[in-house]
Amino acid sequence: MELVFLLICGGVAVIASLLVIFARSTLHSALWMVLSFFMVAIIYVLLHAQFLAMLQVIVYAGAIMMFIVYAIMMLNLRQEAKSKVATRISKVVGVGALIVLFLELTLIGVSHNMATIQGPVTDKLVATYGRVAVISNFLFSDYLLPFEVASILLTAGVVGAVVLAKREK
Amino acid sequence: MVDNQSIYLTFAVILFVIGAAGAICRRNAIVVFMCIEIMLAGVSIAFVTFSRANHSLDGIFMVLFVMAVAAAEAAVGLAIFLLMYRKQGSIDLDKFNLLKW
Repeated sequence: MELVFLLICGGVAVIASLLVIFARSTLHSALWMVLSFFMVAIIYVLLHAQFLAMLQVIVYAGAIMMFIVYAIMMLNLRQEAKSKVATRISKVVGVGALIVLFLELTLIGVSHNMATIQGPVTDKLVATYGRVAVISNFLFSDYLLPFEVASILLTAGVVGAVVLAKREK
Repeated sequence: MVDNQSIYLTFAVILFVIGAAGAICRRNAIVVFMCIEIMLAGVSIAFVTFSRANHSLDGIFMVLFVMAVAAAEAAVGLAIFLLMYRKQGSIDLDKFNLLKW
C-alpha cells in the first residue's frame, strides 16, 4: 500500500518537475511547481514526518509560490530569445554531465547498503509524546541557537527585500 | 533501514537531477529559481529518509532550516529580479553580465 502511494506520488512529482522545465509560459511552470510540492509533502507523510509535510504545504506551496506568482504577474515576460549555438553546445554537455551524475548517485549512493544507527527518537517515544511534542523538545533545547539564527536571517531577508525593491526617488 | 529506502532515495536523486538540468538549460531567471527549489526538495527527501532510517530528528531539523533559508532567498531573489527588470527590461540570465569581465 505504501509502495503504491510512493510510486504514484513520486511519479507525479517527477512529471510535474519535468513540466516546470518544459512549460512555455512561466506561470504554467509555477503552477506545475505547486503540484510537485504537494507530492513532495505526501512523500514526507509516507516517511512519518507529518509536521514537515504541513510546513511544506504552508511555507512552500503557500508562501514561496505566492511570492513567485506575484513576481511573474508584476513582470511582463515575453518568450525567451532563440538559443545561440554556443548555448546549445553547453546544454548538451551539461545534460550529459547530469546523466553521469545521476548514474553515479543511483549506482553508488542508493544501491549501497548503508549502516544505520539507533538514534534517540524511538517509536515508543513518539507514541508516548507525539511527533510535534518530540520535535519541539529538541528544537528548543539542542537546536535553540540555529533556530534563533534562522529567525534573524528571515528578518534580514525581509528588510533586504524591501530595501532592494523600493523605488528610488 | 526504512521500507523502500532505495525508492525514496531514487526519487530524491531524480528530483535533484531534474532541478539541476533546468537550472542549466533555462535562461528565464524565475524558472531557474524554481528549479533550484526542486533541487532543494530532492535533497530534503533524502534528509528525511535518512532521518527516519536512523531514528533521529537531525535530518528533519536540517529540512526545517532549509525551508527558512529558502524563504529568505525567495524574498531577496525576487526583489533582485524586480530590480533587474526595471533596469534592463527583461530577466534573461544571458543579459546579467554586469559582474562578468
